[in-house]
Amino acid sequence: MASTSTAPPAGPTHPVIFTTKTQYVLPSQKFMVPLAWRRYHLSQLVNRALSLPSPVPFDFLVQGEILRGTLQEWMVERGVGPEETLEVEYVESVLPPTKAAERKSEDWEAGVTCAVPGHFATASYDGHIRVFDYAHFQTAKHTARIHPAPITSLHVVPLQSTSSDEEQTYTILTSSHDLTARLSTLSLSPNSPKPTTTKTLASLHLHTAPVSHVTVSQDGSTVLTSSWDTLIGVWDTRIPPSDEVPDDAPDGERKKRRKLAKSGEEEKVVRKVPTAVLKSHTNRVSAAAFLPGSNEKAASVGFDATVRTWDVENGLCTHTITAPEKPFLALAMHSTNNAFAASTDRNVSLFDLRSAASAPLLSLPHPATPSCLALPLAAASHPGNPDNGGGGNENQLISGAYDGVVRLWDVRSTRVALASMRMWEAGDKVLSVDWRGEVVAVAGEGGVGVWRVGRQ
Amino acid sequence: MAVSEVTNGRKKRKQADAEPEVVKSTFPETVGLELPSDEEEGEDESDDGEVEEFPEIDARSDSEDDAEDGSDDEEEDEDEEDDEDEEDEEEDDSVSDSTSDAGVFPKPKTIVSDITGQPKRVYPDIEPDYDSDSSTEDDPNRIGNVPLHWYDDMPHIGYNINGRRVLRPALGDELDKFLSTVEDPQAWQSAFDKNAQMDKPLTGEELDLIRRLQAGENPDGDYNPYEPTVEWFTGKGKEEVMPLSAAPEPKRRWLASKWEKKKIMKIVRAIRLGRIVPSKPKATDGKHFYDIWTEAPSEHAPPLPAPKPSLPTHSESYNPPAEYLPAEEERKKWQEAEPEDREQDYLPQKYSALRLVPAYDRFIKERFNRQLDLYLAPRIQRKKLNIDPESLIPKLPSPSSLKPFPNYKSLKVAHTEGRTRCVSVSPDGSWVVSGDEGGNLILWEVIVGRAVKRWKLDGKIGTVEWCPRTDVAFFVVGTEEKLQFFVPPNLPRAVLSLTQSILAPATLPPPTPSSIKWTSSFSSGENEALLTIELSSGSGLPKQFAWHRKGDYLASVSTNESQGGVWVHQLSRRHSQAPFKKIKGTVQLVQFHPSKPHFFVATQRYVRLYNLAEQKLLKTLMPGIRWISSMDVHPSGDHVIVGGYDRKLCWFDLELSDKPYKILRYHTRAIRSLQFHPTYPLFASSSDDGSIQIFHARVYNDLMTDPLIVPLKILRGHEVKDGLGVLQVKWVPRQPWLVSAGADGSAMVWCS
Repeated sequence: MASTSTAPPAGPTHPVIFTTKTQYVLPSQKFMVPLAWRRYHLSQLVNRALSLPSPVPFDFLVQGEILRGTLQEWMVERGVGPEETLEVEYVESVLPPTKAAERKSEDWEAGVTCAVPGHFATASYDGHIRVFDYAHFQTAKHTARIHPAPITSLHVVPLQSTSSDEEQTYTILTSSHDLTARLSTLSLSPNSPKPTTTKTLASLHLHTAPVSHVTVSQDGSTVLTSSWDTLIGVWDTRIPPSDEVPDDAPDGERKKRRKLAKSGEEEKVVRKVPTAVLKSHTNRVSAAAFLPGSNEKAASVGFDATVRTWDVENGLCTHTITAPEKPFLALAMHSTNNAFAASTDRNVSLFDLRSAASAPLLSLPHPATPSCLALPLAAASHPGNPDNGGGGNENQLISGAYDGVVRLWDVRSTRVALASMRMWEAGDKVLSVDWRGEVVAVAGEGGVGVWRVGRQ
Repeated sequence: MAVSEVTNGRKKRKQADAEPEVVKSTFPETVGLELPSDEEEGEDESDDGEVEEFPEIDARSDSEDDAEDGSDDEEEDEDEEDDEDEEDEEEDDSVSDSTSDAGVFPKPKTIVSDITGQPKRVYPDIEPDYDSDSSTEDDPNRIGNVPLHWYDDMPHIGYNINGRRVLRPALGDELDKFLSTVEDPQAWQSAFDKNAQMDKPLTGEELDLIRRLQAGENPDGDYNPYEPTVEWFTGKGKEEVMPLSAAPEPKRRWLASKWEKKKIMKIVRAIRLGRIVPSKPKATDGKHFYDIWTEAPSEHAPPLPAPKPSLPTHSESYNPPAEYLPAEEERKKWQEAEPEDREQDYLPQKYSALRLVPAYDRFIKERFNRQLDLYLAPRIQRKKLNIDPESLIPKLPSPSSLKPFPNYKSLKVAHTEGRTRCVSVSPDGSWVVSGDEGGNLILWEVIVGRAVKRWKLDGKIGTVEWCPRTDVAFFVVGTEEKLQFFVPPNLPRAVLSLTQSILAPATLPPPTPSSIKWTSSFSSGENEALLTIELSSGSGLPKQFAWHRKGDYLASVSTNESQGGVWVHQLSRRHSQAPFKKIKGTVQLVQFHPSKPHFFVATQRYVRLYNLAEQKLLKTLMPGIRWISSMDVHPSGDHVIVGGYDRKLCWFDLELSDKPYKILRYHTRAIRSLQFHPTYPLFASSSDDGSIQIFHARVYNDLMTDPLIVPLKILRGHEVKDGLGVLQVKWVPRQPWLVSAGADGSAMVWCS
C-alpha cells in the first residue's frame, strides 16, 4: 500500500479510511496506518498521496475529535479495538497565529473592533475611542472622546454605513460607566487627506448603573444594552429629532454644558429612550447577543448565573438556564441554539438554549478568568455584507482571559486550546477580542494587538 | 390400728346379743375401712386401676365372716401389741368415724338369715347376661382395659376386639375447646373421659364430690362431724370393772428414763464447763448474705493476666535440626557475651533421644528470676490503642460538596506606595475601594480591576468602609484624626442627590454639644471629601469603622486615645458621641449586632456585648486570646468569631457559653482579619503568614445542632513583607468572591 511504502512501518498497523470536506480529496481506500503515527505523519501521508505541489498541513478528526497524540494513545483512551476501521476526517490545519502588530496604550482598552475595513477601532477606559490604520499602527489615526467615563464595549452597527470613494461613514455603538450607551458616526476618508471625524448622535438613557455591554442585531436595526442594574434595554438605531427624555442634570452642570456648546465644541446629543426593557435578571447582566440571523430573539448572561433567552419584540424571557456557581462574564452565539458563555469559574461553556439542563454541552477550561469571547466573522471586506461564518472554521472560538493569553479553541478538542496567543506578560488582562476573517484584534490592559490566524 | 378395731369388733359382738340395733349401726363403719385394703388388688384387676371411680365393695355383705377371721388372727398378736393399743385407741375411733361409704351402689335388702337367724343384707343378684357386665355395655371405647398412656405417642388409642386399630378421635385445638366452652353452658361441669376420649358431663354427686375436695372438706356428703357421743365404756352399766390386760404396769410408767438423764447431764456438764454457751450468737448470724452492690467496687485493677509465653521454636527442641545448632564460634560468642546481650538465653543442644536429656540445670535460677521479676517489676498492662486514626478525624463533608467558595486569584490591583491596609466592597458588590499607607485610595471594579478613580489623601489611610445603604453610595475613609466621606463617580442622579443631601445637607441640623467637628464641602467635586469629621487631636489613626446596618450610625475606633477611642457618629444629626466613659483596656474593635441594638466591643482580651438601648453590659466573652486582632459577627447575630495575634481563631455561640465553642489554630502567624460572608455560609480569615483561609460555617436554626465548620481552602498569593501578610479580607456581597488587601501593596480578588 501507499502508506507502508512512504514510511517504515513501526509496530502494529490499523485500517483507516480518510474522508474530507476540503478540496483535497483522497480516493476512497483503506490505509494500514502504523499506530505510532501522529498528526504530522498522517499529514505527510495525505500530502504525498495527493502529491501536492506545496505541502498543506492537515488536522485529523477521529470520530469528531481532533487527534492530539498518536493513534495508539487515542485508541487506548477510547477503548477502540484493533479490528475496527477508523474513519478519519482531515481538515486543513490551523496555522499557529502570528502577531501582526502590537501597541501599548496609556489606558486599558475595553473594546476593540475590526469591522471597519483597513482599520481598528478601540474603546478605552479614559472614555475615548481611537481609530488605527493597519499601516500606521503605532499612532492613532483619530481619537475622540465619546464618554466622560470609561467605555466598556464598542460595536460597529452593520448595514448603516455609507461609503463613497473619498469618505466612509460608520455608525458606532459604545457603552460606558456613565450609565449610557451612545450612537456615534465615524467618518473615514482613507484615500483623501481629509481628517477622520466622529460625531456623537444620540445617547441611550435607561440604566441606573454602568452599562456593561452593547450589541446590535445583524440587520443593524435593534440595539441591546445590558447593564449592572439587571436590565437590558432594547433600542432602535433611529436618531430622533429631539430629546425623548429630559435632561435631569442639575442647573449648574447644564449651564456648563451649554457654555461648552456655545463654544462650538459640543454637538447636540439627542437623548433616546428604549423601545422595550427586558427585565428578568436578578443580578448584573454581563452581555447580551442576538441569535444569529434574527433581530427578535436574543440571549443574555449575567452574574446571577443564568443564560436567558428573550423574545425581544414582546420583551419576554422565554427560557432560562440556571447554571449554579457560574457568574457569567461574556456571551457568544455559536449557532441558533447554542451559546458560548464565559464564567468566573474559569470555564467557557457551551449551552443548548433549548434545554433547561444546567450542565453545559461542553466546557473549555481556562487557567484564568475568561473575559471575552469571539466567533469568526467574515472579513470586513465589504461593510454592507453581514456575512456570518468565516467559512470552514465554525467550530472555532477565540477567548481572551485575565492571564493575558488569547486562546483559539476548536469545539472538537476541548481539553487543550488549538493555539495560544500570548499578548502580554501574565497579569495584564485581555478585555476584548474581535475576529474577522484572518484578523484577530485583541485589546486589554496592556494595549492593542493584532494577530493573524488561519489559512494564508 | 387393725388390731384395735378387731378388738372393738369383738367386744361389740359380745354385746350384739343384747343390743342388735346398735351393732347394725356401728358395724359397717368400723370394718368398712379395713376391708378395702385387703381387697384392693382384686379391685384393681376388675377396674383398670382408675382411682377416681373407686367402686367400693360393700363390706357389710361379708363383714361378719371377715371380722371373725380377723379376730381369730388377732388373738395371737394381742399380747405383744398391747402397749400400743392403749395409746392408739382414741385415734382409731376418730379415723373409723370419718370413713364411710359414698353409697352409690344398689341398695341392699335386710333379711333375717335362715341359718343364723341374724338379720343380713342381701343385694340384688347380678344377672350374668351381657347387660349386667359393664364391659359389654355400649361402650364407645372398645380397646379393652389397656392403660391408655401406652398409646400416648401413637395415632391410635388401642385395638378393638377384632385387632383393628382404634384411631384417636380428632380433638380440636385450643380455639375449638374455647368455642365449645362458650357455646355449651354445661361445659364447665364436664370432664374429659379418657376411655371415651371425649367430654362427659359430670353428675351432681360427682360435682359435689369435687367441690368438697376443693374446699378441703370431707368428701363424704353424709358425714356429720358433730355426731352425738356414743358412750361405749362410760355411763350406766358400761363401767369397766376389770382391766383389759392382766400385765403388771411397766416400770417406765413411773421411773424417769436413765438414758435421757445421761444425755441431759452430758449437756448440763458441757454448759457448766462452758463448752456450750447458751446464748452464743451463731457464727453465721446475718453474715450469710450481703448486698454486693452496696460496697464500692474495688479500686484495684483486676489481676493482670500473665504474659503469654512465646511458643517454643525449633532451636528449643531437644533434637533440633542441624542447621539450628550453633557453630563453634557462635557458641563461643554466646558464652562470651553478657547475659543481657544474648539474643537467646539458651544454647541449642542436640540429644538423640528424649531420655538422654539431662535435668534442667537452670531451674532454680529461672524460678529465682521469675520471683525477682514479679517483685521488682510489677506487670503493667499496656493498653494497645487499636484505634483507626481515620476514625478520630471528625466526619466532615468534602470541600467539593460545599461549593461555591473562592478558590483562585482572579485579579490583582497594585498600589504603588506602601502597604494596602484596608479594602471595602460596595453593598451592591460592584466596586472596591482600597487604601494604602501612602494615602492612595483607589476605587476599582470588582471583576475587571480597573482603577476607575484615585484619590490622594494626606497621611496613612487606616481604614475604609462603604455605607451599607443601597439607596445612597458613599464610603468613609479614616485618615489621621479624620473621617472623610467620599462619593464614587458615575452615580445616577437620584442616588447622587440623596447622597449629597445626607452628607452635605442644605440645612444643617441644630448643632450638638460635642467636641467633634463636622464639616461638609458643598462643591460637587468628587475629588474631595463631601464630609469630614475631625476627631479630637491626638486620637491617632482610626483603625476600624463599623456601620450600623441602617447606615445612619457609624462607630469608629482610633488607635491611641485615653478613653478607648470609640466614637459613634450619627449622620442624620451630625453628632458624635463617645458611648463609653471609661473602658478597661484598649478597645481593639467594635461591631454592631446585625439585628438587635447590641454593640460588641473587643478589648485586648475580652469581647463585651452591650445593650445600647438599656445601656448595660450583657455578656463578656472570654476567648483566651492574649491580643484580639479581629472580630466579626455572624449575619444571624448569634455567633461571633474572634481572631488574635496569637494565631487563635475562636468561634463563640452566644446562646451557648462565654467560652469559645471552637478554637481553630490553622494559621502559622497572627490573624489579621476575619469576615463572615453576608449570605453564603462562608467565612475567611487572613493572616501574617500570607495566606487566606476559607471556612464553611453553616449555622443551623435548630438550637440543638452545633454549627458546622469545615476548612475549605487556603488561598496563597500575597507576599509576606516586613512580617506582615494579608491585612484585610472582605467578601463581595451576593457572590462567593473575596477581596483581600496585603502588605505587599496589592489588593486581590479571589473568585470561585
